[in-house]
Amino acid sequence: MTEGTISATFDVYRHDPSRAEPARYQRYTLELTPHTPVLTGLLRIRAELDPTLTLKYSCRSAICGSCAMQVNSKSRLACQTQIGPEIARHGRIVVEPMRNMPVVRDLVVDQKPFWRNYDRIQPHLILDPRRPMPKGRENPMSPEQVDRFKETPRCIACAACYSACPAVEADPAFPGPMALAKLYRFVVDPRDTAAQDRLVRIQPDGLWLCLRCHLCTEACPKDVRPSERIRDLKELAIGAQGATEFGSRHAVGFKESIRDRGLLDEMLLVRKTYGVSGMMGQLGQGIKIYRKKPELLKKPHPIPGVEEVEGIYAALDRPEAEGGAK
Amino acid sequence: MKLAYYPGCVAQESGRELDMATRWVAKALGIELVDFANFSCCGSGFVDEANEVLNVALNARNLAIAEKAGLDILTICSTCQGMLSLANLRLGDAKVKARVDAALKPLGIQYHGTVKVKHLLRVLTEDVGLETIKARVRRPLGGLKVGAFYGCHLLRPADELQWESPEEPHAFEDLLSALGATPVYYRGRVMCCGFPIQFVKEPTAMKIAGRQIDDAKAHGADAMATPCPLCHISLDSYQNKAARAVGHPLDLPVFHLPQVVGLAFGASPEELGLDRHLVSTDGAIAKIRPPAVA
Repeated sequence: MTEGTISATFDVYRHDPSRAEPARYQRYTLELTPHTPVLTGLLRIRAELDPTLTLKYSCRSAICGSCAMQVNSKSRLACQTQIGPEIARHGRIVVEPMRNMPVVRDLVVDQKPFWRNYDRIQPHLILDPRRPMPKGRENPMSPEQVDRFKETPRCIACAACYSACPAVEADPAFPGPMALAKLYRFVVDPRDTAAQDRLVRIQPDGLWLCLRCHLCTEACPKDVRPSERIRDLKELAIGAQGATEFGSRHAVGFKESIRDRGLLDEMLLVRKTYGVSGMMGQLGQGIKIYRKKPELLKKPHPIPGVEEVEGIYAALDRPEAEGGAK
Repeated sequence: MKLAYYPGCVAQESGRELDMATRWVAKALGIELVDFANFSCCGSGFVDEANEVLNVALNARNLAIAEKAGLDILTICSTCQGMLSLANLRLGDAKVKARVDAALKPLGIQYHGTVKVKHLLRVLTEDVGLETIKARVRRPLGGLKVGAFYGCHLLRPADELQWESPEEPHAFEDLLSALGATPVYYRGRVMCCGFPIQFVKEPTAMKIAGRQIDDAKAHGADAMATPCPLCHISLDSYQNKAARAVGHPLDLPVFHLPQVVGLAFGASPEELGLDRHLVSTDGAIAKIRPPAVA
């Protein structure tokens, strides 16, 4: 072994869906320095050991977002991941294609679902034709206005967040973290004139499916923090439309339930979210749970000091318009 | 050790077995839990969605209550842990702090930012220590394979919460080993239980819960254990629906964190409220092998 190098074992996912053979993992071993990027290792495998290995990359500098894949089960950029820490932690480097998108071959996935969701949020400025962009000069923005974009301009659309998202995995209706983070970016853009419409349209079977599990924020190589931007969007959406969806009704209902007693009133919350008639659908499960946990129906006593909680609400909260139960 | 005990709403309501088990384990370890009836709900992530600053202010009030008593806070819920910790962090932003202070001041409440918020899992593994835990074990959980299920807000965002690795945490597994059980490692252990969207789109939430339970089973778990009562609602109280969502029976008992500790310390199932679960834990308990006599 050359001095300063380590023996790096790569277990690489191999699959060609156009052929009958099932997916398999192929092992390659190389001598590399610990700071070698995973992408460089894969390119050496392709150049020196196996020209059939299929992968996608371009800039090798964490700018283009082409080489996102699963490295030891985490969605990340192969060019930004060094082999040393991976070997130290896992003993080997398992490389797989991103999740939540169909495999084209080996490490390349078809990103159409990801881009379709991006299109869905209309990722461009929508301007009011009656208010044309000022001719001959750019749109000046105050530092405060620029601050509102937060980290979103850093996004390189690598799809690592989409690959990591359990809501995307379970429900094709969910637009995914990147699309929503981008939507946030347009909603807070002072030049855009469609914020209200954007916030209304993203809510049914979309925005409120976010689990706020923060897996996207962990996966993002650019610290865009999509889960936090989705939180911001939810608050803006309630501001724009009131509590009209199950998701917003639940968030607002929860908030109100605490104002009155300090603690959560579980039954009141179910009623605020579903409405009285909608509660009927929950009756069967409610009875099953009640048999083991009779406190379900007990209304909590207001906490001592509930007037302090009310005081905080009086200072910081505004009541929302409630929509009808769906 | 003396801590301000923050049970959270669920442990005082439908998840009362978690409170029972926590008190039993704390007593066994000589941890003094100080109750504060005036603690409010942490907002559970939902109030944060509706109004971020309000959520920080509610938790600043909770933190101020513990601070006034000179105590750090003990949580027994991943979500309470996340919300209280993040409030501490958000108060580092001068603009947020100014708004919160302005709301609290007329109420005579002040928070200086000195309170640490610790989840029971962290107190057991770091402050009590695994050696003390091992020494207290009366009935080692030999033969029992347990899949730990962490709950999102105990781990993420990791750069803010500053504790375990969000991908490869090991505190819970280390604790399970100290109790004599065999920890089961599976992808789902750091995933979401689906609870936050239970009221938004139940079939999707149930599919997510079912996947994690399935994953634990596929890796050989006899039971799961969780430090979060909200995960427990998804994984236990709604397991019948999760089974329907994945299309086959699941039948996997789910313990609360202090229940597995209590079992190994010799508590009876009744003392730990195990009879309150929707999925019976009897099968898992029957798998515990008495230690071989030397």
